[in-house]
Amino acid sequence: MLLTRKGDAGARAQNRFSSSLADSLSRALPTMDRRGFLKRSGIGVGAGIAASQLGLIQKAKAAVGMEKSGSKIEVRRTVCTHCSVGCAVDAVVENGVWVRQEPVFDSPINLGAHCAKGAALREHGHGEYRLKYPMKLVNGKYQRISWDQALTEISAKLLEIKKTSGPDSTFFVGSSKHNNEQAALLRKFVSFYGTNNTDHQARICHSTTVAGVSNTWGYGAMTNSYNDMQNSKAAMYIGSNAAEAHPVSMLHMLHAKENGCKMIVVDPRYTRTAAKSDQYVRIRSGSDIPYLYGMLYHIFKNGWEDKQYINDRVYGMEKVKEEVMKWTPEKVEEACGVPEADVFKAAETMAKNRPSTVVWCMGQTQHSIGNAIVRASCLLQLALGNVGKSGGGTNIFRGHDNVQGATDVGPNPDSLPGYYGLATGAWKHWCNVWGVDYEWVKKQYPSQAMMEKSGTTVSRWVDAVLEKSELMDQENSVKAMVFWGHSPNSQTRGLEMKKAFDKLDLLVVIDPYPSATAAMAAMTTEGQELNAKRQVYLLPAATQFETSGSVTASNRSIQWREKVIEPLFESRTDHMIMYQLAEKLGFAKELVAKIKLVPGKGGMMEPEPESMLQEINRGTWTIGYTGQSPDRIKSHMRNMHLFDVKTLKCSGGKDAVTGYDMTGDYFGLPWPCYGTPELKHPGTPNLYDTSKHVMDGGGNFRANFGVEREGVSLLAEDGSHSLGSDITTGYPEFDHILLKKLGWWSDLTEAEQKAAEGKNWKTDLSGGIQRVVMKVHGCYPFGNAKARAVVWNFPDPVPLHREPLFGTRPDLVAKYPTHDDKKTFWRLPTLYKSVQQKNVETKMYEKFPIILTSGRLVEYEGGGEETRSNPWLAELQQENFVEINPKAAADRGIRNGEFVIVSTPTGARIKVKALVTPRVDAGTAFIPFHFSGWWQGKDMKEFYPEGAMPIVRGEAVNTATTYGYDAVTMMQETKTTICNIEKFTA
Amino acid sequence: MARMKFICDSERCIECNGCVTACKNEHEVPWGVNRRRVVTINDGVIGQEKSMSVACMHCSDAPCMAVCPVDCFYRTDEGVVLHNKDICIGCGYCSYACPFGAPQFPSNGTFGLRGKMDKCTFCAGGPEEDGSQAEFEKYGRNRLSEGKLPLCAEMCSTKALLGGDGDVISDIFRNRVVRRGKGSEVWGWGTAYGKAPNPEAKPEKKAETESKS
Amino acid sequence: QNAPSEPAAIAVGPAAPVNLAAVESIDILKQNQAERTIDQPGNAAPTYRLVNDGTKHYSSLPALEAGVLIQGKAQFPGQTRATTAGEAWRQYRNGPLTMIGGALLLITLSVIAAFYYFRGQIKLHTPLTGRLVERFTPGERALHWSMALSFVSLAISGSIILFGKHVLLPVFGLTLFGWLAFLCKNIHNFIGPVFTVSIILFFIKFVKDNLPSASDIPWLFKFGGLLSGEHVSSGRFNAGEKILFWGAVVGLGLVVSASGFVLDMLVPSLEYSRAIMQISNIVHIVAALLAAAMVMGHIYLGTIGMEGAYASMRTGYVDDAWAKEHHDAWYAEIESGKISRIRSEPAAPHGSSSVSQNA
Ligand SMILES: Nc1nc2c(c(=O)[nH]1)N[C@H]1C(S)=C(S)[C@@H](COP(=O)(O)OP(=O)(O)OC[C@H]3O[C@@H](n4cnc5c(=O)[nH]c(N)nc54)[C@H](O)[C@@H]3O)O[C@H]1N2
Ligand SMILES: Nc1nc2c(c(=O)[nH]1)N[C@H]1C(S)=C(S)[C@@H](COP(=O)(O)OP(=O)(O)OC[C@H]3O[C@@H](n4cnc5c(=O)[nH]c(N)nc54)[C@H](O)[C@@H]3O)O[C@H]1N2
Ligand code: HEM
Ligand code: HEM
Ligand code: SF4
Ligand code: SF4
Ligand code: SF4
Ligand code: SF4
Ligand code: SF4
Ligand SMILES: [Mo]
Repeated sequence: MLLTRKGDAGARAQNRFSSSLADSLSRALPTMDRRGFLKRSGIGVGAGIAASQLGLIQKAKAAVGMEKSGSKIEVRRTVCTHCSVGCAVDAVVENGVWVRQEPVFDSPINLGAHCAKGAALREHGHGEYRLKYPMKLVNGKYQRISWDQALTEISAKLLEIKKTSGPDSTFFVGSSKHNNEQAALLRKFVSFYGTNNTDHQARICHSTTVAGVSNTWGYGAMTNSYNDMQNSKAAMYIGSNAAEAHPVSMLHMLHAKENGCKMIVVDPRYTRTAAKSDQYVRIRSGSDIPYLYGMLYHIFKNGWEDKQYINDRVYGMEKVKEEVMKWTPEKVEEACGVPEADVFKAAETMAKNRPSTVVWCMGQTQHSIGNAIVRASCLLQLALGNVGKSGGGTNIFRGHDNVQGATDVGPNPDSLPGYYGLATGAWKHWCNVWGVDYEWVKKQYPSQAMMEKSGTTVSRWVDAVLEKSELMDQENSVKAMVFWGHSPNSQTRGLEMKKAFDKLDLLVVIDPYPSATAAMAAMTTEGQELNAKRQVYLLPAATQFETSGSVTASNRSIQWREKVIEPLFESRTDHMIMYQLAEKLGFAKELVAKIKLVPGKGGMMEPEPESMLQEINRGTWTIGYTGQSPDRIKSHMRNMHLFDVKTLKCSGGKDAVTGYDMTGDYFGLPWPCYGTPELKHPGTPNLYDTSKHVMDGGGNFRANFGVEREGVSLLAEDGSHSLGSDITTGYPEFDHILLKKLGWWSDLTEAEQKAAEGKNWKTDLSGGIQRVVMKVHGCYPFGNAKARAVVWNFPDPVPLHREPLFGTRPDLVAKYPTHDDKKTFWRLPTLYKSVQQKNVETKMYEKFPIILTSGRLVEYEGGGEETRSNPWLAELQQENFVEINPKAAADRGIRNGEFVIVSTPTGARIKVKALVTPRVDAGTAFIPFHFSGWWQGKDMKEFYPEGAMPIVRGEAVNTATTYGYDAVTMMQETKTTICNIEKFTA
Repeated sequence: MARMKFICDSERCIECNGCVTACKNEHEVPWGVNRRRVVTINDGVIGQEKSMSVACMHCSDAPCMAVCPVDCFYRTDEGVVLHNKDICIGCGYCSYACPFGAPQFPSNGTFGLRGKMDKCTFCAGGPEEDGSQAEFEKYGRNRLSEGKLPLCAEMCSTKALLGGDGDVISDIFRNRVVRRGKGSEVWGWGTAYGKAPNPEAKPEKKAETESKS
Repeated sequence: QNAPSEPAAIAVGPAAPVNLAAVESIDILKQNQAERTIDQPGNAAPTYRLVNDGTKHYSSLPALEAGVLIQGKAQFPGQTRATTAGEAWRQYRNGPLTMIGGALLLITLSVIAAFYYFRGQIKLHTPLTGRLVERFTPGERALHWSMALSFVSLAISGSIILFGKHVLLPVFGLTLFGWLAFLCKNIHNFIGPVFTVSIILFFIKFVKDNLPSASDIPWLFKFGGLLSGEHVSSGRFNAGEKILFWGAVVGLGLVVSASGFVLDMLVPSLEYSRAIMQISNIVHIVAALLAAAMVMGHIYLGTIGMEGAYASMRTGYVDDAWAKEHHDAWYAEIESGKISRIRSEPAAPHGSSSVSQNA
């Protein structure tokens, strides 16, 4: 067996596999440590316990095969590239081939566990159905071309478009699949190209969360962690189907349940998650606010709110209470369909089992009022005093593996890395960090105004292409699209998207699996208006297993992926492609001004991931991405077993390679990990937790919205502060002035003083301000304020329920109408009321009487091209389907397994199989969104580039989804629209 | 000697299919052959839905073994039921006999053409030399011989699936049951291991000799 | 040995408290899991009933029985209680069918041997006339032989599949027996349909002469004179042959074929579930062994059991003496010219192709 492997087979491999073994053996001894006990008692039984049986089952001398061939075997530790849970994987590589995949029992996040997608990762090492070389669309067929030709032609065309229509006529869709380094580099890339027209999946994922939550209390992220949910006494999942979307998170929840945690699931569908709940509440899609206010109604009525907490740490709760008390149980039931008793029960469970946590995901975010819904959830937690507590918090499960990281430091239209925004100061800060001249960057943009104006969003790129220039808040409409790790079938309004694809001058898809976009662009449809001059290129990107880099999990922990294999076929890493394109576009030197270049595939130079991470470290003070140096995170990856599963804390231990002492660190240094790496901030496991010292990961709410509003202080009350703080009341954020006023300036070293002069905690590149504030005075760099129950800069300062644009309840539209139309919003006209009114007037609800919602299947991810190309996954879901209630099916004469046509007000008619199931009620239908490759009943097979067609294809629900965007972030409304379902007749 | 068994804890299983793909990945099992699968009963019915992962249970008195016309099954010291593909004639009888639907065939053609039977090996390979290429090609990896346990259980996303020494896993399971105060039933054990609620009792010894007759 | 399929419980300290009053007042067996959970939080019996009863539940895999966790119960005739269908089938096949079936074949063999030993070959009583009459045309013979050969190969191969492990395996060893069984399985699977086609054609060809007639009854009462040596009157085929025809070829032959087609997965759009396969297998074995026993008797008579019989099927011609002695009524018709002495047209080609021509 591997334990006894001798020779060069890799000492590393040995200790990787044996560490879990040693661990578990020691666990069998009478003096079990707590972690051991935990594992033994059920949370970590995989090999954990099981390995203690080794003595009994060793029957063979050695694990063989591999060894005998005398080949080189290495174990590379990486992280699953699918969802934000961040499960670690040990990849076994033999002579450069990824031959096996072993569970990492040591990972405190997943303890070796994986869902279907994670367990099938090794397929990436085969990549049979990937794009293998650059291709170009010629006369409707994709043809192979060389990299050189591709890069030359693409850059020439880009420069031409930039020259004739300006840089804003190009839209770069980045990716939450990129690692932090690539995401940050791409933001820099588009900046040097001269546009803010860039975005990534977060827009259509958690943008409403990020906006809503950060505006409530500071940071737009999951406050606690999957692990911390083990400390919860009650948990309410509202709009999250974690069992399918974040399966391994359920490991922690189910363990908590065994320790008495009560689980509530609020969802229009009885999901696999709901099946594990103690209480299931079925709500009408889009009616979360009435439901949440219904709960708050009982909380206030029974005096269950945490009055002290609200007094000390929350601003404006009375205003909320006013609105809440209007939501009498009758009104609540009318709007969301939940009877009073059920709402009461849920409220009581959450109130009487504190700390209680709320989990949400897409069920809340993907609405035209997503920003308000997520804030209503925050309000519930604030009222209960759950935020900033272990076991409490808002556990917002993020989406893609690195959507958190890409949101933090990646290609956002409204901000430079680290939420610095686009104001002049932000640009100067980053130019400083990047080592480029601010004036030079400014020259790349059409004007300073455009440089500081938020770009268009990926949810609206279709309109940015199709809209008349004069109605847009930019010079010209978009003519060139670069899809750099994003699928087309994940955005709504597919019918119009096809028109946009046809109208483009240039389409570039840089992706290991660009085929969905490729096929959609290439396909011919009836009445098509095709731009004859259009150029389409596909570039094979390497996957995250073919490079190294850091990735931020949902709980803000940052993990390092080792490179598993060399880029397959002709693929190149994204950062190499960025660098090479920059060379052709003429800003390569600036792009890597402070970044080390190293030889990559084929000896070609590419930026070094470590060096890029260090640049992120140097610049991202706002959210504390500064302490996570490559060395520190790598030490964590090598020593996962030292971190506690429940607290994520390292109780002690040094990394053998670097000698770095991890004592006190939280796993993956969850951001904020303020200060320089040398300061050794341990990372923040739970945000805003006043029971801990700042230097132990404690905190409080952020002072980001001024110090007072209408004469009322926004700062925390006396006595409310993080443990050991020198200031025992609320205080504003720190800058050089405050430091001087407090007489703390002298705590800075001379060099620090020099650097900090005129700077604040976010812009002081020396980290001196952060050091002094935290280490010397125990204060929080961003101040200590109250959370805002009233977000006055949002369209609805107190969250209000508004009906979706497409609904089945005209009676409720009358009571809860949507917003007014907006003339320009993220550079585009955006409609609300006019669409909703028209729908009511034309009685759309009669023609389309079923609410259509969409979401996930555990086996597939996102647009699904990647996972549907993986035979181990594809076999498990071979056809797209619509969940339809037995009654609704019977009314329409539809039987389980038959094809049906789902039609929507857009005119789309998609063909899927009927899954007749009581998961949904009779007024609701659900379609997973991971399919593409069929277009309104037609297989698009012939339009795929040769050799790069996924195994399973199906109808994309987004071909049929409708108009509707969040009033703050432009999130698309994918969770609530309407449809009709009829039997398919050939 | 340890007696290898599976438990799938239906209070934990979430139908995530991690176990299924773990198996496919580890053993390179072809499309259509599912050594493990997940079944959800009362799908979508409020308060009644339960998911369970199922593969070969390595029965004590294995019906598959008993009906095989060429007697190509054998049982290891740990109670793992394995078979010899060199001898298997692909008659399908084991699949008719197995209560769990474990035996699988690469094809299901007319004239009874099925190819050699394949089923869960408890990650213990086959009769070839442990860890040899031939063993891998026919039966997949032999994790037991490497001192590891079934990958499906090791990777189970919620640790619902426990695979290992019957005593140890029923210990773990018992622990959970005590904590949550419900669901002491382990589905499939009655069928697979006979009436042996007490894991100390080892009915398989008796059964083994019987099934030979 | 009888594996029960109730869920096994892992002993857990003291039993969870049960609200007895609530339980007694309702019909427990009708409760679903949601209702049961309210009455008895720890009780999952309704779930386990579903686990064990073999219903098809949800599974994302499209395989036929992927949704069945544990196959439902079955009880074959003679079994004392229901067990999982696979277990019941296994017990039935490995038990009575193998045992009784094996015994049936052995006993038949012994009876034949004893008969031969005591009675010896049935000889012709009259001397040969030298005049020949055509008893079977080449087409008829081809049919018979294709049926006979396929049957024999099916019987042998089938028997090896069923009994080989007890009889041959200990002698041959696993590898050799494995190869033999593999061969047998494939022979069996492909020859099966040949047999089916043969019996259909055979039926068409021979049904007329096998229709029951008045003379069959005395023939049967006297058992064809087999024991006494007495001469019993008969038409072209005697009652014994008719029993073979109707019983083995038509009756059992069709049953064996039908079940065989199912086992061979040749019936279009049938769902080959385990239950169907188990039942088919049992039907197949029972019918096949009964047929085999009958055919063994026939083969005996058709070869060493009766003088001159074999030649009739080999060459197609029998001596007048033979015809008169064994099938007097038929002979009478030939004599009277109702049936011609030679029925095959001289031009008829020989060999297998004539089968279809004659059909
Ligand atoms: N297997 C798999 N896992 C994934 C992904 C994947 O594609 N596949 N993607 C990852 C990504 S990018 C994300 S963002 C997450 C998403 O994870 P989730 O948000 O948990 O997944 P969804 O299925 O989109 O939606 C969750 C639930 O919202 C419900 N819902 C619909 N409308 C409403 C409503 O109005 N109110 C409420 N309360 N609920 C509603 C749906 O019925 C659904 O069950 O998953 C991540 N994990
Ligand atoms: N109707 C409906 N629509 C939805 C949703 C819904 O619930 N309902 N959910 C929405 C949500 S939350 C999200 S996040 C989106 C997800 O939708 P997308 O993010 O568009 O879906 P993915 O297919 O995961 O896209 C990721 C792409 O990146 C590629 N990729 C992977 N690794 C790399 C890499 O290293 N480099 C490069 N260059 N490319 C890489 C993959 O091959 C894939 O093509 O869908 C949204 N759309
Ligand atoms: C391989 C050995 C066999 C031999 C040597 C043999 C021989 C014969 C002979 C000699 C006859 C002619 C009898 C007569 O003239 O009346 C005959 C007829 C017949 N044989 Fe066979 N036979 C064999 C196998 C079989 C088998 C396997 C079957 C059935 C499955 C079968 C079914 C019949 C039938 C039905 C008849 C005609 C009787 C009738 O139509 O009623 N024979 N056989
Ligand atoms: C009439 C003569 C036949 C006899 C005596 C016979 C006998 C048998 C026997 C003894 C078995 C083994 C059963 C067991 O071990 O459980 C068997 C299996 C089988 N028989 Fe027949 N059979 C006959 C005809 C047919 C026909 C006509 C077909 C198909 C059309 C057929 C198809 C099969 C099949 C498919 C099996 C399963 C064996 C496997 O696939 O390995 N048999 N038969
Ligand atoms: S998809 Fe998510 S839960 Fe599944 S293995 Fe990957 S990271 Fe873990
Ligand atoms: S589960 Fe089925 S295949 Fe496995 S030992 Fe039992 S009867 Fe045999
Ligand atoms: S298929 Fe193979 S293993 Fe199964 S019973 Fe037949 S010969 Fe035995
Ligand atoms: S034990 Fe091994 S062979 Fe069996 S199902 Fe699990 S992974 Fe597959
Ligand atoms: S991996 Fe575990 S939780 Fe997932 S389906 Fe398999 S047994 Fe169930
Ligand atoms: Mo997402």
